[in-house]
Amino acid sequence: MMRRIQPYLFVLPVTLLAGVLIYYAIGFTAWASFTDWNGLTEMNFIGFGNYVELYHDPLFWTALRNTLVFLVATIAIQAALGLLIAVIAKERLRGSSFFKAIFFLPIAMAPAIIATVFKYMLEANYGSINETLRALGVIDQGTVIQWLGADLGVWSIVFINVFQWMGFSMMIYYAALMSIPEELYEAAEIDGAGWWRRLRSITIPSLRGTTSVLIILGIVGALKTFDIVWLTTGGGPGGSTHFLSTLLYEERSNREAGYSSAIGMVILVIAFGLAMVQIKLANREGGKR
Amino acid sequence: MKNRTTPGAQIAMYAVLIFLAALWLFPIGLAVYKSVQVGGWGNYDAVLTSETFDYWRAIGNSFLMAGSASILIMIVASLAGFAFSKLRFRGRKLLYSLLLGCLAVPIAAVVTPLFFSVNSVGLRDSYLGVIIPLAAFNSLMMLLIMKNHFDSIPDEIIEAASLDGAGLFRTFVRILLPLSGPTLATVGTLSFVYSWNEFLLPNLLLRSAEKFPVTQAISLLEFDRMSLEQISQLYAGLILMTIPSLIVYLVAQRYLQAGVTAGAVKS
Repeated sequence: MMRRIQPYLFVLPVTLLAGVLIYYAIGFTAWASFTDWNGLTEMNFIGFGNYVELYHDPLFWTALRNTLVFLVATIAIQAALGLLIAVIAKERLRGSSFFKAIFFLPIAMAPAIIATVFKYMLEANYGSINETLRALGVIDQGTVIQWLGADLGVWSIVFINVFQWMGFSMMIYYAALMSIPEELYEAAEIDGAGWWRRLRSITIPSLRGTTSVLIILGIVGALKTFDIVWLTTGGGPGGSTHFLSTLLYEERSNREAGYSSAIGMVILVIAFGLAMVQIKLANREGGKR
Repeated sequence: MKNRTTPGAQIAMYAVLIFLAALWLFPIGLAVYKSVQVGGWGNYDAVLTSETFDYWRAIGNSFLMAGSASILIMIVASLAGFAFSKLRFRGRKLLYSLLLGCLAVPIAAVVTPLFFSVNSVGLRDSYLGVIIPLAAFNSLMMLLIMKNHFDSIPDEIIEAASLDGAGLFRTFVRILLPLSGPTLATVGTLSFVYSWNEFLLPNLLLRSAEKFPVTQAISLLEFDRMSLEQISQLYAGLILMTIPSLIVYLVAQRYLQAGVTAGAVKS
């Protein structure tokens, strides 16, 4: 008898802590998204009312677009730069571990702190970036570039995220590169394949599985992104740089708990949906690492 | 391994590395310069003796919350990782998939129920109210890492121990844990760093400034219409608040890197 239930005792703590809490939170969000709840008083069922309202809310579409632009841009840039540096680092140039340490360092730093530093640097009037550009003569003295404005805000946030997380892609590509058998390269070299040819024919195909993993983690990471938006643009000006996560948070503090739960459901559906598609695609390609 | 690159290629590679490294070091260098631009090194002293912002308190709060969360995570993730890897029981695969499915759930998507439930059990504005969700959301990645680690230990070890009549828990503590030092260190470091860096959860659940961790305490150094000196002091504060992360990075860089790759390579 004891033998039968013992395994369950080992998995009970994590199930109670994470499983119950997170599934409860998902269920609660799903239910609340069909109510007019304000977070305090009673909940009235209103069917798809919140979703209809979302559909007609231009801020929602802006936030969705910003989230998706961010998702695609950060995944692509971080993968490209990470791969570039990993490939160079694999050549074992002198000092390459020093360079790797620099790019990996921001991962240990709090996004909240990095975001705040960038907010003051990117400030339009007296921020260091515009001041530096003026001093170098790249832009005229009186010119003010609104780095955190409606047009560039999302791209500044993309840049901050690349600064923070590129080292992650680099490290994972590097680990994957080190597991490619050296004989493959030696054989290719005997066949007269140059550096570029070896990169295209051996390195990149071997990294397909790693890239898939980075895409999944990138999707999840993009949907989790909150602090670097909240602490730089705060979703502004006029809601133009909201992400789904920050729009949800703002609606929640505006006593729109039901409405914000509907945004939460959209985030969850995108998270599960895109992750599933990506896993399917990866499996169809043979699921090679 | 012999070097296959030509001198020309090497120069190009160094050029790329130096250009990118300069881009990465620029914000850090600029932050240090800004922190002393107006008011000099005295800004650091001003931050440490500020009346509105208690540096050591914020560091202590972060240590308390991130430390407790990572200890909790190490316990639950190693227990469950062992069971999912080495024990056979009904519903094992289903439960494991259900748990790992939560890896994709962003905290931001479920802030409303989190706030509501923490509030209704009376844990709002308490350390414990932050520690529990922190541990919950970070434990699943760590469960994955622990399970993969136990998968790499041969089953025979467990079988031998159970022939000796050792109970499961004893086998776990006496035989498997001693083989898991580096992985536990990895899980602990990664949980600590992720918990330390968390901003959304404390921002959602804490209101008293004396409980703020560093990520949230930044706001105590920001004011409307800041003078140049106050901005310099803010930079000094941000740098001071990064020092603990730098120490962790220097001491445990190996484990941090191992954790980052362990969570990604096999999933």
